[in-house]
Amino acid sequence: MGDSTLMRVTDLTKHYGDVRAVDGVSFAVPNAAVFTLLGPNGAGKTTTLEILEGIREADAGEIEIFGARLRHVDRATKQRMGVLLQEGNFEPYLKAREVITLFASFFRNARPVDEMLERVALTEKANTYVKHLSGGQKQRLAIGAALVNSPELVFLDEPTTGLDPQARRNVWSVVADLKSTGVAIVLTTHYMEEAEALSDLVCIMDNGKLIAEGSPRELAARLNQETIIEFAADGVQDDDLVPLHACCAAVRSGEDLVSVETENLVATMGSLLEWSKERDLPLANMTVRQPNLEDVFLSLTGRRLRE
Amino acid sequence: MNDVLLLARTHILTALRERVTLFWFLVFPVFLLVILSLIFGQIGQQGEITFDVSLVNFDASTTSVFSGMIEGVFENLAQSDTADEEPLFALRHPEADEDLASFLAAELTAVRRGRRAAVIVIPEGFGHEIERRVVSSGAPGGSSSTDDLPLTLYYSEGNAASNMAVSIIKQVLAGVNREILARSGRFDRTIAIEASSTWVGSESGGTVYVDFLLPGIILMGFFTNSLFGIPGAILFSRDQRVLRRYWVTPLSVPRYLGGLSIGHLALCALQFGILLVVGRFGLGSTVSFASLSAALHLLLAAATFMAFGFLIASLAQTANAGMAVANILNMPMMFLSGLFFPITGLPVFIRAIVYVNPVTYLADGLRAAVGVESGVFPTALVIAVPLGWIALSTGVASWRLRWDVAR
Repeated sequence: MGDSTLMRVTDLTKHYGDVRAVDGVSFAVPNAAVFTLLGPNGAGKTTTLEILEGIREADAGEIEIFGARLRHVDRATKQRMGVLLQEGNFEPYLKAREVITLFASFFRNARPVDEMLERVALTEKANTYVKHLSGGQKQRLAIGAALVNSPELVFLDEPTTGLDPQARRNVWSVVADLKSTGVAIVLTTHYMEEAEALSDLVCIMDNGKLIAEGSPRELAARLNQETIIEFAADGVQDDDLVPLHACCAAVRSGEDLVSVETENLVATMGSLLEWSKERDLPLANMTVRQPNLEDVFLSLTGRRLRE
Repeated sequence: MNDVLLLARTHILTALRERVTLFWFLVFPVFLLVILSLIFGQIGQQGEITFDVSLVNFDASTTSVFSGMIEGVFENLAQSDTADEEPLFALRHPEADEDLASFLAAELTAVRRGRRAAVIVIPEGFGHEIERRVVSSGAPGGSSSTDDLPLTLYYSEGNAASNMAVSIIKQVLAGVNREILARSGRFDRTIAIEASSTWVGSESGGTVYVDFLLPGIILMGFFTNSLFGIPGAILFSRDQRVLRRYWVTPLSVPRYLGGLSIGHLALCALQFGILLVVGRFGLGSTVSFASLSAALHLLLAAATFMAFGFLIASLAQTANAGMAVANILNMPMMFLSGLFFPITGLPVFIRAIVYVNPVTYLADGLRAAVGVESGVFPTALVIAVPLGWIALSTGVASWRLRWDVAR
């Protein structure tokens, strides 16, 4: 393991009966970077993380964390890790301060409780029962509990799922802060924009396998597309799209969106306007954008991330 | 504070802050102690309870004195000695011109419906039969049992008052029997062995019902606290993924269990303290738990029930299933143990349950340790059976209990 690699996973495999939840996954997480597992629900992201967090055993494969080869993540390793679970709760009748105090007691080098409460902006809610906290406040408390030991490696499993935009941005800023202090972060998400905004390195998972790996920019560049034009599919029949195949690299029609990929924006725009006039179709809500991770996933699997 | 103690504090705080738990944990045992003491504490104090009993004499026209004597005895008991005392029996007779058979039929219906405690029937020829027995060789002198009197008693087995009335009637008849034998010269009163049973409290002479009840209620508190509290704490935390948050930290299962156990025992101690205060200062209990034996019995009880809680947690797939199992076991295990009432005269198959039930031995042992009863079972058994349950429960629990949600 090189100096810059904090964790390396080789051929990780986990079965549930006949289902291969994780199927020979290998990757390396560098120091002070945000490493993202991106994929649809059921892709195997959470199982992979649960093995690395030490709450599930892998059937096969090797894990190397902080320079130590492990069959199973042990308690000494957990002293240096922080974990934010996708689904996790606290005792509803504990106060926020009591939760942090309790979690601080599990670690040898815990930060002061008041400092943690302040860091996750819960000082005013310190004496509020968990059951009376809002969804965003509960998530901040969970982050506080996960970071109470100043971890070197942090796992964030779907940290923004179900949160409102404000709470989501709060989580993003926590991730940015952690990264700036040299902490390595392993993140899972099925939000493409989240992966793009936060990640240094993205692994795309589908059906238990890694299907692509690289920085968001590298992955998008692999598509060899320059531009994507999208417009609302209101009133557009499949037959209407046939003439467009002549001018454009790829034409896809989703339920509510027609997507046209092109290397020659000017020519394609001209063709599209003509097509629109001929068929009296409005090109409503038309946008022109660069390819993103969603397009990468679509081109690799033929499916959208949230299908 | 270290993690184990903080986990113990967490268990205590969450139990005391949740109203439902608080009710079952504290309010209900105190309520039961007060209610049962107020209702049943009066039994045995003379004249406070009157049993409705009917007497039908089919032998009234006889020349023998015995039928009239029996009737006279019960009529006597149906009168009070002083104005402010209720008599032991309220005795009903058929009217002068009433048909005895139809009166009997109506009274038997009344017994079945719980309106009458018992019916005493003196059959035709009763007096002459007694005379024959006293005079002839087949005299009742061999035994003073009331079974030898051809009287018929009707009562309802499922009715506590009825059972109580019948046992009093039998005692009265045994007295009559002895009197007859004495008078006929077959029973020497001076050499007869008199047996009397008296409850002896540790400080006062007679034990009141609250002294019998208090150890039972304390055990009930421990029992329900463990039966619901332990599986509740583990299974709800597991199903709600509270435990998962612990398992991603360096916290180990043994340390979690240590915290839970200390918290649970502290709750038992609190429960014990409150029940003791209510029993002593509210209900006048004199029973003392201040002995090493009593303390060890209480600890054994708390440990046994706690292990039982772990067993239930390991048998249930979900928290709700765990609560259902606890509910199913709760009532039979409590009531078939002598916790609230002495176990006497139970059918054999129920007694079998009583004898495998650890609560039986713990109740017996604790009552003996605090001196309200002499104790039916030998000390070795009182300790061995609960220890056996602890071994069995922890064995099964450590094999079966899952600490994370199933995938």
